[in-house]
Amino acid sequence: MKTSARTQPTLFPFESRIMTGVESLHLDNGIPVFLIEAGTEDVMRIEYIFKAGMVREYLPLLATSTNLMLTEGSQNHSAEEINRILDYYGIFLNPAAEKDIAGITVYFLSKQTERVLGLTEEILFKPVFPGKELDLLLRKRLRWYQVNREKVQNLAMDQFFESVFGSHHPYGRQVAEKDFKQITPSLLKDFHSKYYRPENMAIIVSGKLHGQTVNLLNRYFGKLRSKKIFIEDTANIIGGVKEKHMHISKPGSVQAAIRIGSSTINKTDPDYPGLKFMNSLLGGYFGSRLMKNLREEKGLTYGIHSAVSSFELSGFKLISTDVANKNIQKTIDEIYREIRLLQTVPVATEEIKVVRNYMSGELVRMFDGPFALAESFKAVWEYGLDYSYYDRLADKIKTISPDEIIRLAQTYFRIDDLYEIIAG
Amino acid sequence: MVSFDRFSLKNGLKVLVHEDRSTPLAAMNILYDVGSRDEDPEKTGLAHLFEHLMFGGSVNIPEYDLPLQLAGGDNNAFTNNDITDYYLTVPSENIETAFWLESDRMLELDFSQRNLDIQKSVVAEEFRQRYLNQPYGDTMLLLRPLAYRIHPYMWPTIGRDISHIENVNLNDIRDFFFTHYAPNNAILTLAGNISPDKAFILAEKWFGPIPARKLKSRRLPDEPVQNSERKLTAEKDVPSNALYKVWHTGPRKSDDFYSLDLLTDLLAGGESGRLYTELVRKKNLFSEINAYITSDIDPGLLVIYGKLMNNTDIYNAEKAVIEVLDNLKDNKLQVKELEKVKNKFESSTVLSNTSIMNKAMNLGFYELLDDPGLINSEVEKYREVDRKMVRDAAHKYFLTENCSTLYYLSSRKGK
Repeated sequence: MKTSARTQPTLFPFESRIMTGVESLHLDNGIPVFLIEAGTEDVMRIEYIFKAGMVREYLPLLATSTNLMLTEGSQNHSAEEINRILDYYGIFLNPAAEKDIAGITVYFLSKQTERVLGLTEEILFKPVFPGKELDLLLRKRLRWYQVNREKVQNLAMDQFFESVFGSHHPYGRQVAEKDFKQITPSLLKDFHSKYYRPENMAIIVSGKLHGQTVNLLNRYFGKLRSKKIFIEDTANIIGGVKEKHMHISKPGSVQAAIRIGSSTINKTDPDYPGLKFMNSLLGGYFGSRLMKNLREEKGLTYGIHSAVSSFELSGFKLISTDVANKNIQKTIDEIYREIRLLQTVPVATEEIKVVRNYMSGELVRMFDGPFALAESFKAVWEYGLDYSYYDRLADKIKTISPDEIIRLAQTYFRIDDLYEIIAG
Repeated sequence: MVSFDRFSLKNGLKVLVHEDRSTPLAAMNILYDVGSRDEDPEKTGLAHLFEHLMFGGSVNIPEYDLPLQLAGGDNNAFTNNDITDYYLTVPSENIETAFWLESDRMLELDFSQRNLDIQKSVVAEEFRQRYLNQPYGDTMLLLRPLAYRIHPYMWPTIGRDISHIENVNLNDIRDFFFTHYAPNNAILTLAGNISPDKAFILAEKWFGPIPARKLKSRRLPDEPVQNSERKLTAEKDVPSNALYKVWHTGPRKSDDFYSLDLLTDLLAGGESGRLYTELVRKKNLFSEINAYITSDIDPGLLVIYGKLMNNTDIYNAEKAVIEVLDNLKDNKLQVKELEKVKNKFESSTVLSNTSIMNKAMNLGFYELLDDPGLINSEVEKYREVDRKMVRDAAHKYFLTENCSTLYYLSSRKGK
């Protein structure tokens, strides 16, 4: 076939700003609710978010155990009943406890809205934490823990957080087998009563919304009352360890997991959008420099990624890859070489254009459909921000200069600051 | 309801379009009717390795990813026993770039020794990362050849052995391409912000000139009926014992497919499933247990697997699994229990249809099954399954002589 007939089609600019708004309101008792109306299918998603993440826990496993026990029995229903009801009505319920926040997300057919609200109110505010179920949960989780600790990826990751944030801080603390023995129903009740409270929560509703959504939310959640209680702040200070290099030995391993990074700014910092851009260039997409160099040119790894991520009190950047043992040093050298290049040599306009267009496309994908919109909203709401963060990000993607990339790489990717964790 | 238009080009390429104007994106899916079942037993892993090579540049385009990234697109691919599937999303303004890219690599790849060498090495690392360096990661490497004696489902998609991938040469690659990658062996699906008219014009323009190719005919051996129970014990350095049991089932298009799918949902769909309720919650024998059917096009497997709690005897645990299965055979199902798994299926189908990528992918796969309308009517097929059909399926397939069992034991003391 003649090549002339196969000329590359023209590339067109496209809109990367959010077109769908968020309607913000308060229930009768003040609980903030955010409504995102979008989508073509009769399905909805409700996320209940509490400031009840690991950062609040005074013992390891408290936040996650409390969260997972919510569906293990309530004042009116046993664990089996709750699960049977969820399954019978085709309701998908995902519990999640992260570093800062915890809660549950439910996906369901819009016609089930009232049933879902009634059931989730009970799950969230009337759990009973039965001892038998807790015992089973802890035994199961100990098993998962033991399997996870066999994976070099997890060994390196756990150590990375400990090195960067400190073993005394919930962001950094590693879980040990003995921790599974300490958790009791009364500890969970205490944690629940302090952090799963109406004044400590927000609700994000998205999808093709049931006509009575707001009225029903008020019926089930708008009347909850609770006295403010005084919570002692654990006042942990973030502080990484001195030792920057750590090798965790895992005999018999055919590959080593490499994790390199350190703490950094979070989403609230004006430099964050630029840092996201710089990080994409380095290792944030398939065409990134690290991916090109280590996978597509040298074939050293199945994948290498660099990420910048936020916590409420901090943030971190992390480069991760798995390579054959004999290639560890070569890989690390190449990672540092790529960082140094970004710190010293201006990035060519062509390459900036690729990242610019790729990231703009990512923004469109992040806002595509009701559930993606809801997740993107939560990802900024957590930090006291709103969708305007994405406008700033979109602007930065369009305007960032080669000099700014050098400045960001020099400021936020100082090689002397980086922790280097290897497991294998 | 997923509406769609369907159309075939003269060269045999099938094109399906689902228009959804609620999104600014368009999704493109290309399914090639080739999977690891089409491999030479001595050259396994080739279909999957080939998927990697498809990103290394084509006859007129030196690099696949770069122009797509410039168009704001994102893409990926997967290979399984039956098919190789390439998918992408892109702001709909730039959908023509996707046509240009995908048609060029269907036209002809840039067969370069360098690209082949690098991707062989990448796939070898993938093999190590996903199969060898994970606890229980080699399960399918053990289980497949136990269950299958002659059918190519006996090897996993990654390949039987790393050496097979290492030995592939450019001639193998060229031969594989021209006998499997062809318009007459592919299904192109579009979903999202694109009209059927536009899609057909672009399909004709970009894919129309690619000639139909002479395909390698598929002559796969039928797996003989299994007449006696098979058992394999493996001892590995893992933290706990695990039990895997598989039974041969029918092909994807058999009438029993829906009954069997619901049967596994009854057993393990969600925490209210029977296996979880009985063996995890009540008897504390397992820390996790699951059941699923492989949904392969040729006769596949029904799989039940679980990790054991500390100090559980694996043979007692196995007996308890069989009791749960016998109970399904011996007693009448509750109407409500069957209703539950059907509702859950319906709800997950509607949820899956919120994504244009899922819709494009599913439409392509149903076309491969010769019935794209299944994307809407499959819910009805599940609705039609009654209690007797589920029980009959349990009686038909849960036979001792039809079962292969892998006892995956921990070599550590006290487990």
